Amino acid sequence: MRAATQLTAAGRAVAVRIGINQVRFTAVNAVGLVTLLSGIMSFLVISQATRELGRIGATDLIGTLIVVAIVRELGPLMTALVVAGRSGTAIAAELATNQVLGEVRALEGMGIDPKQYLVLPRFAGSLISMFTLLVVFDLVAVLAGYGAASLNGMAGGRYFDIVRASLTYKDVWLTVFKAFAFGFIVGVVPSYFGLTVRRAPTEIPIAASRAVVSAIVGIFLCSALFVALG
Amino acid sequence: MTTPHAPRPLVFEHVPLGRDASQSFTLEIPAHHTVAVLGDEDSGLGALGSYALGLDRPPAGRALTFDTDVAALPERERLAFRRRVGYLPAGEGLLQNLSLRDNIALPLRFGSGASPKEIDGRVNVMLAAVRLAGAGQLRPAQANEEERRRAALARAIAFDPSLLVLEQPFDGLTVRVASELLELARGGESAEGARRTIFITGQEIPPVLLRRVERVYRLTRAGALEPETV
Repeated sequence: MRAATQLTAAGRAVAVRIGINQVRFTAVNAVGLVTLLSGIMSFLVISQATRELGRIGATDLIGTLIVVAIVRELGPLMTALVVAGRSGTAIAAELATNQVLGEVRALEGMGIDPKQYLVLPRFAGSLISMFTLLVVFDLVAVLAGYGAASLNGMAGGRYFDIVRASLTYKDVWLTVFKAFAFGFIVGVVPSYFGLTVRRAPTEIPIAASRAVVSAIVGIFLCSALFVALG
Repeated sequence: MTTPHAPRPLVFEHVPLGRDASQSFTLEIPAHHTVAVLGDEDSGLGALGSYALGLDRPPAGRALTFDTDVAALPERERLAFRRRVGYLPAGEGLLQNLSLRDNIALPLRFGSGASPKEIDGRVNVMLAAVRLAGAGQLRPAQANEEERRRAALARAIAFDPSLLVLEQPFDGLTVRVASELLELARGGESAEGARRTIFITGQEIPPVLLRRVERVYRLTRAGALEPETV
């Protein structure tokens, strides 16, 4: 945060441009994948649930299933895994390459803080992307759930009534908070591993691999923490 | 009446260099002088520029730039201080994802309060001065070695520093281009000598350039500096 406030106007413009590129790669280019994953997962879960819960007359529980299991828990988790897998690898590999080519050292030699130029825009891009993709994931999940419920004989109006009745403000804020927490992890962990590389090109794939594994472990631990505290 | 003491541009005090060093050396680079220290690749010579800019600390002794131990400064001040020194690192350290033009503009964007228009104007002047007006849009990978070196020098003198640290600045260049770059680095002549103080490290320097270099030293394997006759 301190790095952001110390940027000059021209430096801020450069950082914003890099951040926009990061959002383009992390969010815009991943919309298709997130839509596919969300749609298929929600469709399968709600199809099965509508059938099984229908047998015991408990279809009202579909709302809880959509809100708690998919929107609040699996949505942030799967979105974070997609972002960590795609962009975490890219961030770590890119910063590691900057390091190996001597670009980070050159930046420091010119009096430019590598955190301002390299880390900050990617960090901000990860936060924005994670939030945006999570909104896409949850919207698609709810719509795919509607499709699945309709195909299994549930009226559309009833489906949306059940979902709306199950959704609380706490679910919304918890989901938003998770998006930013996971975005933080995906922005910071790969940057750290990328910049800890020294001079050998052979360290780049190792850094990328460690970054993604650590980010995924961090995301799962963070998710468990949310459940424990929530 | 006493005249205020002018800070010495660059001083190395009792600094050991290289794995096999059994001796340390002391060297002062006088203002308005061009001084070259030559040595083998494994002599540890490459560390001198890093010591001068406070990117690394010498294992013993100290490096003073404008009478300041740069490495001992807090991070913010250290970065700001480095803008007073022009730095051309070995391998140029140009950012591969930026054009030559953007590479030259980068320190100005992050280190000056100038408006984008003023920076553009300054960069145009720099590009013309280093004869890169037609190659500004090239990425480093698309440019040849001479163009990359010209861009790296333009970036180093972007703030018009009074001290320049050049690492292997003439490797792979023709004598004509090397002479031209040295003249650009010197920045014209003053009553005391060159307008800028220049510290060069490298393995060799073209003999024809030696008449523009006031002092040349060779670093021995033992870590001692021996003056060479110019």
